[in-house]
Amino acid sequence: MASEPAGSEAVRLGREPIDPAQLLAAVADPAAGGNVLFVGTARGITAGVVTNRLTYEAHEPLALAALARLRLRALDRFGLVACAVWHRLGTVAPGEASVAVAASAPHRREAFAAAEWLMECIKAEVPIWKCEEGEDGRREWLHPADPTPRAEAEP
Amino acid sequence: MHDEDANAGPRLRIAVFAGMAELAGCRQIDLPWRGGTVAELRRGLADAHPAVASLLARSAVAVGGRYAGDDDPVAAGADVAVIPPVSGG
Repeated sequence: MASEPAGSEAVRLGREPIDPAQLLAAVADPAAGGNVLFVGTARGITAGVVTNRLTYEAHEPLALAALARLRLRALDRFGLVACAVWHRLGTVAPGEASVAVAASAPHRREAFAAAEWLMECIKAEVPIWKCEEGEDGRREWLHPADPTPRAEAEP
Repeated sequence: MHDEDANAGPRLRIAVFAGMAELAGCRQIDLPWRGGTVAELRRGLADAHPAVASLLARSAVAVGGRYAGDDDPVAAGADVAVIPPVSGG
């Protein structure tokens, strides 16, 4: 695989805002022909219900390790030449990015597939939680019935 | 809160997160602990903090930075975290 971005650029879990351009730059690679950037933003309205803000927290060592492992699996599984996975912690206002993945492959198909796969895995496996705060100030941590967090289950 | 154990031996510090921290009213739960399995730890935690029992039943347990099964051992002083169902993204 060609020039790897610095570790801190490839996987990031932090409170600073996510700059999509920076993420895309982190996966620039001469062997890339398809570069897919997915940005998940905090949704301000869900089925007519207003969300004032989201707050994210994580088991940081486990979450960082899980993000790094998923990135490596994506590189291998989809034949990517570069990949970056960032997730935000702390308070995120509507419209701001809470998560972003970038995948670069020789051709677009693998890059699209990798970005989709990474997002599915992040939402299912990585120990990160969001708290929704509504217009009325009501707060709720989301712990969906499905998925339950899962170990290092290899596919 | 567990006066009978207050001056007794080893304890376990359990990190809890998100909705479980809210239910427990704290981010770390201390339990008297002389060693045992994850299943025993789950029972001890649910008995000491009934408010977390239902979410705990849907949660994973990590010991020493690795997800652990119910039969796995938990030594006194181990680094333990309860990982409730995730909602990142």
